[in-house]
This record gives sequence, structure tokens and C-alpha cells, in this order.
Amino acid sequence: MKIQLESVSFTYPGGVEALRDIDLFIKSGDAVAFIGENGAGKSTLAKQLNGLLKPSYGRVFVGDWQTSNRSVAQMAGRVGFVFQNPDEQLFARSVREEVAFGPRNLGREEYTISEDVEMALKQVGLDRAINRHPYDLPTPERKLLTIAAILAMRTPVVILDEPTMGQDAQGIARIGRIVSDLKAEGRTVITISHDIDFCAEHFPRVIVLSSGRIVADGVPSEVYYQESMLENAGVIPPQIARLSINLGLPSGALTDQEFIQIYKEHR
Amino acid sequence: MSAAFSLYQSRDSGLHRLNPLTKMTIALSGVATSLIVSGVWGNYLLFLLILVPLSAWGQITYSFLRAVFRVVWPFAISIFLIQGLFWTDGTPVIDLGPLSFKAEGLLFAVISVGRILLLVGSFTLMTMSTRPDALMIALNQRGLPHTLSYVVLSAIQIVPMFQAKANKIVEAQQSRGLETSGNLLKRVRALLPLVEPLLLGSILDIEERAIALEARGFGRRVKPTSLLILKDPVWEKILRWAIVALVLALLAVRIWLW
Repeated sequence: MKIQLESVSFTYPGGVEALRDIDLFIKSGDAVAFIGENGAGKSTLAKQLNGLLKPSYGRVFVGDWQTSNRSVAQMAGRVGFVFQNPDEQLFARSVREEVAFGPRNLGREEYTISEDVEMALKQVGLDRAINRHPYDLPTPERKLLTIAAILAMRTPVVILDEPTMGQDAQGIARIGRIVSDLKAEGRTVITISHDIDFCAEHFPRVIVLSSGRIVADGVPSEVYYQESMLENAGVIPPQIARLSINLGLPSGALTDQEFIQIYKEHR
Repeated sequence: MSAAFSLYQSRDSGLHRLNPLTKMTIALSGVATSLIVSGVWGNYLLFLLILVPLSAWGQITYSFLRAVFRVVWPFAISIFLIQGLFWTDGTPVIDLGPLSFKAEGLLFAVISVGRILLLVGSFTLMTMSTRPDALMIALNQRGLPHTLSYVVLSAIQIVPMFQAKANKIVEAQQSRGLETSGNLLKRVRALLPLVEPLLLGSILDIEERAIALEARGFGRRVKPTSLLILKDPVWEKILRWAIVALVLALLAVRIWLW
């Protein structure tokens, strides 16, 4: 499902201007990473997409819906938002009930809900924990549970806020696989993350925000090699890009294999 | 301790620079005065002539008045309705079908709301113009155990902390399709997914905070030192004693007139 922002500006009630004149088009099935330092406007931009925040000026469309004309609960049928802190949403007595909460709010039939719950839990590797209490799970698994809770809603757009925070290598790899699955299903995936290596590996489009403006928008192999722009935006490039820059190699490598190939060609 | 989750409003003003104990004395004297002052409009006058100018001195008049009225108006409405309509053997002044507002009930409501206004205003002014950590240090310097002053401050900070947490929970649940507006039934249904994470999350926060405090030596039996140096000039000490004397004088006059 396509997303379009037209000249969007947003100012918080306290007077902080968080977004300034944002024009953005995300086509259906895109996987986009919003990066930038704290306070750059990443979360504010993401909250515009599911209607939690409405633009002070400009318009936001998700498909043919303008977010200003819809409630957040309505938008939830199109945009799933995984929040950073799992403890700010878990409330049910079992993992199964927690994951079923979203689909029930969307008015799905009970038999499809069971299937969706099982599918989502399998995807995040919590299928064996289906009858456990959410608060009996360790924090990284609670985070995976909140991802499952959104996956079960089968929304065409999924937003992941700091998905790798607190995850070990296995957890990060699992979230990477989830992103790949979502992309394969043709769903639009957006992440807000400080985990630059994760973004470089899984998101073929990167949008860099700084002081409420988009300062770069492109493919990772180009964006992550714009050293001075990233420095101004308070972003440290991925390790492979830093190594390539320091060795004076041409830009483009983002994985070990790409780096080795470029290194062999130019040493 | 961070001021981010308190009602504190940072300004460069004379009120903000006052020693926390002076502001606490003003707040406590406001509470005492609200109970001592007789007459219908006395408490309203004190609010207008003392607290509002003090808030102007502190450059927080708008936010101060907004915070006070947000707390007071639900009390005011319920007091006027209950006292006005259900005052026994009063003089009816406004008829509403089988019920009527009684003059004596309305008068009592005006006096009670004035008391609440002065009481809430006094504490709000102190909270909005005093950094919580400065208040804690001032209390410690007067011999209050730092564990107890921590409890006092936690109580002051808990409402804004709950508010911030509740806002995030509402956002998260709305994003999962929960309708939080609409008729009463819908709102009641929405309560559990909102209240449970708030309580469970708060319990987890408290546990983590307690562990973090212990890990940083909070339980040690030594007098803690402080980076923040509080000024307490002689004129402020005199002012505090003068306020206390004034309140005692008011009390004496009230008893004498009784």
C-alpha cells in the first residue's frame, strides 16, 4: 500500500517544530529505514503514518485514506505499529490472547484469528509460549511478542520502532528474517532504528532525517557513503562503509562479501 | 533526580531562586490559612492577591492557573451540585423541578471551593517553581532521612510519570485498533488494556528503580553529599519565620473571634 506525504509540517503543542515541509512517497512493498539522531523527527514522522499525530500543515495519505479524516483505530487496519517498549502495551493473561487482541479489534472472524495468531507466533519463534503469561517472558521475547501482535493484524504497512533494541545476535537475525518475509509478501515495511548495520542489511531505501527535514533519501550503497551529510545528521555510517572509506575504496559495499569483492578488485 | 517527570517549569525568576524551604513554608501556610480564614471570599482574595502575583513573579501565571483550575473545577461542580441541591431545610433560590438550589448550600459551596482553590494553588505553585532534587536536598539538610525525602518526592512525581506512561500506552493500544472514544460501554471496555500495562509496567519500573538505587549505595548509613548548593540568605529565614508568625496570629484571631 502506497504512502504519500505532501508538504507535511508538524509542531508539538509545546512549540517544538518536529517536521518541516516533508514531501515523501513510499511505494507499495517498499522497505524503508528512517535514520537520524535523537530528536531528528523519525518517530514523529512514523506517527503521522498511522494517524497518532495529524499534520499541522500538509496532508498524509495511506492508500486512498487521508489520515486527518480517520481515527487511529481505523488506521490500525492499514498500518501496524510496533512500539519500542513492550511493557507499554502488554496486558493479556496469555500470549495467545495478547496476539489476538489486535485482530479482534479489527473485527476479524474467530477462526481466522486463531490461524493468524499461530502464524505470527511461529514467525517470531514464540509458538511454544502460546499459553504462557506475557510477563513471564524475558524482555527480548516480550519485544518479539509485540511484533507478533502486529503481524497477526496482517496490515499492508508495518512500522517497527527500534526492533533490534535489547536483542542478541539470534534475535536480530530473526527480526531480519521477519522483515524479509514481510517484503516477500509485498507488505510495506518501515523501521525507525539506530542499528545502522541492521538497516543497511535489510532496508533497500534509507531516509535520513535531521532537525525535522529529510536530508537524504536513496539506496544504502549511496547514502551510507555520504560521510559529511551523515556526520551533520549525527549518524555514524555502517562499519563496512567506514572501513571502505578509510581504505580509500570505491563506495557501494554493505556486506562482507561485497567488501571482499571490491577489495580484491582494487588492492 | 531528573525534573523531567515533575510539574516543575524551568524559569529564570526570583520565585524559582527562592530556597525550597521558603516555598514549602508558603505552601503549608496556604493550606493552614485556607482552613483558618472565615468569610465567604477570604480564600479567593488570598488566591488573587498572593498566589497569582507570585506566579507572575515566577513567569508561570498561565500554566499555574491552568493546572489549578484543571484540578479544582471537578470538585467545584460536584460540591455546588451536592451542597446546593441537598442542603436540608435551606431557602430555595433556584427551582429545578422536584429539586431546588438552597441559598445556604450554595454559600457553603462557595466557601469550600475557596478553601480547595487556595490549598491546591499553594501546592501547585511550590511544585511548579521548585526543582524536585532541590527540595529533596533542602529537606535532607533539615535532618529528614533521605529515604523519607525520596518517598515524598516520588509522591510528587508520580502523577506526571503516570500521565506520560499512560499516553504511551493509549498510543500503543490505539495502534492495535482499540477504540478509546465513543459511548460509555466502549470506554469501559477500553479500560483493561490501558490500566493493566500501566500498573504492571509501573510495578516493574519500581522494582528496577529500587534495584538501581540500592546498586548506587542509596541504603548506606552516611550523610549524602550534594553537587547542588542551595542558597539560604538571612532575609529568607526571617521571611519564613514571619510567615509562620502571621499564620499563628491569624489562628489566634480566629480563636479569639470564635
